[in-house]
Parts: sequence; structure tokens; C-alpha cells
Amino acid sequence: MSTVASLDWPVLGPVLAPAAGAVVVLVADAVAPRVARLHAVVGVLALLVGAALALPAALGSTDVPRRSLCLPAPDGCLYEAGPVVGALQVGALLAALVVLLLVWPPRSGTRDQPLRGGPAVLVALLLAATVGATGVAAAHDLGSWLVCLELATLPAIALVALRATPDAGRGALALLTTSLVSFALVVLGAALWLLSTGAAVFSGPAVATALADPQRRAVLLLGLLLLLAGVGFKLSLVPFHVWTPQAYAGGTEPVAAFLAATSKVAALAALLVVLRPLAGSGHGSGAAPVLVVVGIVAAVSMTVGNLVALVQDDPVRLLAWSTVAQAGWVALPLSVATTQADQASGAYLLAYVVATLVAFVVVHLVARSAPTATPDGGDGPSRGRTLAAYTGLLRERPLLGGALGLALLSLAGLPPGVLGLVAKVVALRPVVGDGQWVLALVAVANAVLGIAVYLRWFAVLLRDPAPVGRGAGDPEGAGDGDEGPVEELLGGPVPRPALAALILSGGVLVAASVLPQLVLGLLG
Amino acid sequence: MILLALVVPAAVATWLLTAGRSLPHRATNLTSAVTSVLTLAFVVASVVLRPEVDRAWVPSLGLRWHLAVDGISAPLLLLTALLGVAVVLHTRERPPVGGTSAAFHACLLLVEVGALATFFARDAVLFFVAFEVVLVPMWVLITRFGDAHHPAARAEAGARFVLYTAFGSTLMLVGILALVTRAGTSDLGVLAQDAGRGLSPTTQLVVASLLVAGLAVKVPVFPLHTWLPAAHTTAPTAGSVLLAAVLLKMGTYGLVRLPLATVPDGFARVAPFLAVLGAVGILWGGLACLVERDLKRLVAYSSVAHMGFVAIGLASGTRTGLQAALFANVAHGVVSALLFVVVGGLKERWGSADLDTARAAVREVAPRLGFALILGLAASLGLPGLAGFWGEFLSVYAAWSPGDDRSLGLFRAVAVVAALGTVLAAAYALRVARLVWAGDRTSPPIEDTRGSEWDVVVVLVLLTVVLGVVPGPLLSLTHDTVSTLVGAGP
Repeated sequence: MSTVASLDWPVLGPVLAPAAGAVVVLVADAVAPRVARLHAVVGVLALLVGAALALPAALGSTDVPRRSLCLPAPDGCLYEAGPVVGALQVGALLAALVVLLLVWPPRSGTRDQPLRGGPAVLVALLLAATVGATGVAAAHDLGSWLVCLELATLPAIALVALRATPDAGRGALALLTTSLVSFALVVLGAALWLLSTGAAVFSGPAVATALADPQRRAVLLLGLLLLLAGVGFKLSLVPFHVWTPQAYAGGTEPVAAFLAATSKVAALAALLVVLRPLAGSGHGSGAAPVLVVVGIVAAVSMTVGNLVALVQDDPVRLLAWSTVAQAGWVALPLSVATTQADQASGAYLLAYVVATLVAFVVVHLVARSAPTATPDGGDGPSRGRTLAAYTGLLRERPLLGGALGLALLSLAGLPPGVLGLVAKVVALRPVVGDGQWVLALVAVANAVLGIAVYLRWFAVLLRDPAPVGRGAGDPEGAGDGDEGPVEELLGGPVPRPALAALILSGGVLVAASVLPQLVLGLLG
Repeated sequence: MILLALVVPAAVATWLLTAGRSLPHRATNLTSAVTSVLTLAFVVASVVLRPEVDRAWVPSLGLRWHLAVDGISAPLLLLTALLGVAVVLHTRERPPVGGTSAAFHACLLLVEVGALATFFARDAVLFFVAFEVVLVPMWVLITRFGDAHHPAARAEAGARFVLYTAFGSTLMLVGILALVTRAGTSDLGVLAQDAGRGLSPTTQLVVASLLVAGLAVKVPVFPLHTWLPAAHTTAPTAGSVLLAAVLLKMGTYGLVRLPLATVPDGFARVAPFLAVLGAVGILWGGLACLVERDLKRLVAYSSVAHMGFVAIGLASGTRTGLQAALFANVAHGVVSALLFVVVGGLKERWGSADLDTARAAVREVAPRLGFALILGLAASLGLPGLAGFWGEFLSVYAAWSPGDDRSLGLFRAVAVVAALGTVLAAAYALRVARLVWAGDRTSPPIEDTRGSEWDVVVVLVLLTVVLGVVPGPLLSLTHDTVSTLVGAGP
């Protein structure tokens, strides 16, 4: 049994910090069950520390990734974080931070129904899923990759189920079934990988030798396809996307945001780990069929996601289908196996995560203050969850409307959402550079479809506010006589943590729209 | 200087959208007027001084803020900045309906910023980004501030505008990326110097077709023009002016700057198609104008016809043709702006722009407006002595004697068709004159133009006449750059 030859603690920080946070939260809950806010504070600190420790890897160079948990064997490090990995880790941690701020335990007596299980469970689950996301990004061997991938998924299922409504139950069930199926596929794929390459690490040379041998090549390709399918479930790629709208609509908005942001980062990171050993092999080599499949899946995801999103009326469902479409864009550059394609995919994902988080924060706040609070549990879309609830948002609640507008334009890839536009350029570049014209043309058509999807919502924001209903129907806003200027812009009181979430995510979006380098530069 | 010309209007527009939201119409208009005049001053200064800005923006993408002025962009920059002032002035006495005045002016300024940035850009990817900037503000202008009578038509026209042009520009992006990844640089100057050396003929052809197809949507070239009439019919007057005089120019400018300059051999193989489509566009636009019942839509179709001439000039592959195209481009900007101001004013007074309704003859009840209309129509049909003449005459001439590598027979045929198109133009101009201008009905009376509208009309009329009588300065402004692009041919 070989021993660990080197162990570099700070390098492991992005994974260890949230893990330690989760443990602290659980212990604190056992010791002092009445404390409510402490958990969230610990969670925020853990995530911030993790993000700070992930930054060095993100700003480092591609050639010298930061390694830890190294075995004496060559290429035997179990943890390897280059710039792309580091950037994805930062993205996952900050996205989790925004979600955590959204689910901040409310003061007792407010009308927000807390999720079951109390704040400690919630925070611990959130942190645990984040550990999985940061871990899978840097995993370099099959074992930790599998464990971290599941660690990123299972707590998310619990998060959806915590809401304890029939919808949430259905969503959680869908998510659970899919993740079991995908786990089965992934394990089978991992076994085939091990069989064909003879190594339990994701190493380029081993893959190259396996590809050279026709018999082992067939096994490896099958293994790769299975791994791809398994991860495709998590990334909501068509045809593995069916759980997405159900789970999003079943959970609360913050949980949906978590699924759309941190979980997606985990899924892409997992995919990159699998595809990275193929980098440089290109279409001439034996891995070509896998890349073609990636291209087809990307094209179909975009098209289906956009077409269905075009007719949605529940904003959360719309965002869910838009996730499917955007997952297609994320996978698009991966149909070319180069380092540049990895970076492009990561860059697109980060741009998407920022924009979609802002959208979810606003959706959450709008749903919170919707005038007619139908009791949850019905089958129909609950509080404020129709596009009509956004009529005139830009005029009535400029801060929310502005943030949502910028997020939607960014997702659509139209200025002033420059971040989304630049991300589309980045994602298209490797595909065009490789001369895959058909795929590029499908992407063009989908860029247009996407614009139609998001402008449909944006047009609602832009309309005149409805004369009756909204203004008078906001009981909290109407009660307070002394609204400050900020509250006037927000159109009613907003809990301070949620405001912080809005400012954090919105601020990043605005800054990145002026200087896209802030996000793209993380990827080296 | 260049940065100031972009940053000042952009900053004021942002301010209007955020802090200045509740400003009354007068104050907003004054702010915007000052801003646009300042912008005009900066643009004039940069055209005279020719400074250059080159800063890194997104290093990981190689995207740079590389801005400069040359002979091709200078006239368009001046035109854009001038019309930017004109549309703001024109709005002074007519508060926009459908939304806040601040949002309206912010959109006008943002369209101006986007257009200026497009003309300034010297980096292919930056060009694309700037190209996209105009979409959302223009969409807002159409859907929010457009024809108040038809909300459904407004939404449809706006959506069609955005989707068509976004499709075109994304196609163009694919072309740009193909070019940039193959050539290894996104600097338009370097790309134009290399002129496609080192690219295989197939690559050149693919890149050229993608770029031409993408930009043809914006120009618009037949059969990709169907978004234009709807957008023009519903847009407010200021929006129509910007659309016709500025946005369409971005398409033709892009054709010169991208495919023609960077992949000349590929463009030469696409050019015959462009020329034929241009000729079809001239005929189609002319015929549509003969039967069209909506006056605004009629002017929009005549734009399609005029842009056909520009396309033919570009496709001819000679220096004369390119000069003609650039001249026709600017001339069309001025003339269509004039026509849209007049026609928009008429629609506002009549309540609709239907030509079948019997109305008072404009000559009798509103002589100034009538004069401007007749002058605009005359310029539009290419009467010598007015702005429209030189561009059309020269591009027909260029098509008659095209470059050496072009098929002589085909281009001669195109020239004949284009000449026929001018006859159609005369026919529909006279039709409009007969229906709207002439006659002796004097009821119901309409108010003649005055105030800021009249000021704008006077400026545009003067420009039309000046460009027609002394085309020399404009032609010599573009001459040098054109020579470097096409070589010292005829």
C-alpha cells in the first residue's frame, strides 16, 4: 500500500473549508440547538475562506497546476487544480454564498415558511453539496471523482425535498431517480475506463495508449460515452434533462438557484476532468466519436431548451429550460478537444452562472412580495410565479427590474449584457476555429431563438405597470410609512441578507459587463 | 477624443436611465441636446485630428479597444453625429408617447453610441460587439415608443427587427471568428493589408459568404429585407430616421470593411450574387412602391431599392463602384432622413399614413412641408443636382464597366436593370407627388411645419442640395482609402 508522499493543506482549502464549515455547523447545532443565525454565519465564513484559497489556483498558470495528495507513482496526484479548475471552484463557492444569503434564517414571526429541519440542516446540506462541487473539479482519480460527484448531488436532492410540498416531493423524486440512474451509468463507465486504461487516474498518456490499441479503444469509448451520459444528467443535457423543470419548480427559488449554479459548476467540472486527458488528441485520433456525440448533444440541448422555454409562463420553469439550452452552449466548445475549448466552456459557464443567479435572486424577491400569497402546496405555480407578476417591474422596482433586465440580456447575449455576448464569442471560437460549420450554424440559430426567449420576459418588465393590484397589494410595503430611498427603488422592504445577495451577484454582473476580463481572466 | 465621443453620450444615457428617470421632458431634451452637440464636436475633432486609441479590453480573447478614423468611416461618423443632434432636436416639441422621456432619449443616445463605436472600431470582434449595441435600444424605441395605435403590430415589428438582425450579426460573428482564427489577428488594418493572403480559396469563399450573408440582413439586400418595412412603419419618427440613416449604413460599411477588404478573392466570387440580388432589390422595391398604400412603408421600400444601388456599386469591384457605393450610402442617409421626418410629420398630422384616404393637398395647406417632400422625392428618384444622383449614376456606370475579374455580361445586365429601376423610382415618386402633394382640396387643413421640425428639415434639405451640387469634397474624402482597398484601378 503506497503512502501519500506529499500533502499540501492550503491547496486542499477550497474543499476542506466548506467541509469543516459543515462539521462545525452540525456540532454547533448539537451543542446549542436554539441558536439560529450562527450556522449561516459559519457557512458564509467557510465559503469565503474556501473561495480565497481557490483564487491562487485560478490565477496560476496552466502549465504548473497546484497539486496535493500526491503518491510516489508518476502522474499520481489525486488532487490537481489548474486555472480552469480554480475558477470553477471560485464560481461554485461564491454561487453557494449567494444562495446561502437568500436562505438566511428569517426573524421569527415573518411569513416566510422556514424549510423543515431547521437552519443547521439547511446550511450543512448546502455546504456539503459545495464540497462535492469543489472536490470533483480537482479530482484526478476515479475514486474521489465518483465520491465527490455524488456528494455534489445527494444533498441537493435533500434540499429540494425539504420544502415538503407535493411538488417538492415530485421534484426530489425525479432528481433522485435520475441521479441513481446516472450514478449507475457513471460507475459502469468508470469500470470500463479502469479496464481499458489500467489506471485509476485520469491521465493523458494512459488514455493515449489505450486509444492506440483497437480492442481497448472500443472499451474506452464505451466507457467514455457512459461517463458522458452520466454527467449529462447532472448538466441537464438533452436527452437527460427531464428532471430539471420538475426539480426547479418543486424546490424553493434559492434551491433552484443552487441547482442552476453550483450543481451545474460541479457537473461541468466533472465533465472537464473526464475530457481533459483527451485534450490535444483532436479529431484525427480515436476519440473522435465521443467528440461528435458531445457536439450533437450540445446542438440538441440548445434547440430543445430554447423551444420549450419559449412557451413557459412560470419564470422558474422558464429558467429551468433556459438552463437546458445554456448547458448546450456550455458543452458546445467541448466538441473540440483543446485546452482553449476547456477554458471557453468554463468561461461560458461562469458567465451563465453569474447571470442566472441574479435572475433567481430577483425571482425569489418578487415571489416573496407577491400580493396574493396562495397557500403553498397547490399544484399550480405558487406565489408570484407567472410572467405577468413582472409587469412594469422596471418602472415600479427599478433596482430589481434593472438587475433582472441585465441578467436576461446577458443570458440572451445582447449588449448591455456584454458578459453574455463575449461568452458567446468565446464559446463559438473553438468550434469555428475547428471548422465545424454545421454546429456553428445550429448555434447561430439558437442564439436567435435564445434572444426571443429572454426578450419575451424582458418585454414584460418594460410594460407599463398594471394600474390596480400591485402597488396597493403589497401589505409590507404599504404598512411602512418611512421607506428609505433604497426601499423605494426596491419597491418594498427586502431582508438585508437577500439585499446583500442581490448586491453581490448584481455587482459582479455589472462589473463583468464593463470588464469581461474579470471573469474570463480567471480561466488563464 | 474618440473615447470622449463614445463615453459622454453613453454616460449621459446611463444617467438618464438611472438617476434622471423622473426628469421632465424639457430638461431631458435639453440634456440630450447638449450631449449630442458635444458628441458632434468630438466627432468633428476626431475626423480632423485622426487620433487613434488602442487599449486592451479582454486580453484572454485578444479583444482590444482599437478605435480610429479613416476616409471610409469619416463621412458616416459625421452623418451619424449630425443626425444624432437632429433627432434630439426633432423630439423637442413632441414628447414621446408610450414611456418616459428619459428612456426615449437614452435609447436615442445609445443607438448613436453603438453606431459611432461601429464606425470607429478597428478590431473585428469589437466591431461585432458595437454592432450589437444598437439592437436593444432600437428594439425599445420600436416596441415601446412606436405607433400608438397598434400595440400588437409594434411588438411584432420590434421582435422581427431584433431577430432578423441578430441572426445576421451572429452569422457575421461566425464569419469574423473564422477569419480571425485563420489569420491569427483581429486587427482590421492588418487584415486588410494581408487581404486574404495565406488563406486558401475555399476558406476565403466560406468567410466571404458568411460575412456577406450576415451583413446583407442589415443592409438589407433582397430577399432579407422583410423586417425593414414593418420596423419603419411602426417606429417613431426619430427611430425611423436613425434606422434608415444610421443602422442600414452599418451594414454597408461592414461589407466594405470586412469581406471586401479582408478576403477580396472570396468576395469577388460572391459579388455576382450580391449584384444580382441588388438589382432584384431595386426592381422589387420600385414595384412595391408603385402599389404600396402606406406612405411610411413606401419610403421604407424605396430604401430597399436604394440599398440595391449600393450593393451593385460594392459588387462591381472597381474604385468608381466603391466610391459610388459610399457616396450613395451617405446620400441615402440624408435623403431618407429627410423623407422620414416629413412623412412621419404627415402621419402624425393625419393620424395615419394611408394613401387611399382623400386628404387636403399638402401643396395647398402646408407649403413648407410640401416643398421638403417634393425635394426629398426628387432626390430619391436621382434627379441631377441633388444628393441621390451621383451615387446611383456612378454605380450604374461602374456596373456597366466592372472590374477585370467580374463577368462583363452579367454586370451589364445588372446595369440595365438598375437603370430601369430609376424609371420605376420616377414613377412612384410622381405617384406620391400626385396623391399627396398636388390637387386642390384644402380640407381637412393640417398645420404646416415650424419650430424644431422645420429647423431639422432645413438642415437636411441644405445637405441634400450641397451633396448634389458639390459632390467633390465627399468623394475626395473617401478617395485615398478606397484606392488602398481596391488598388489604382479605374
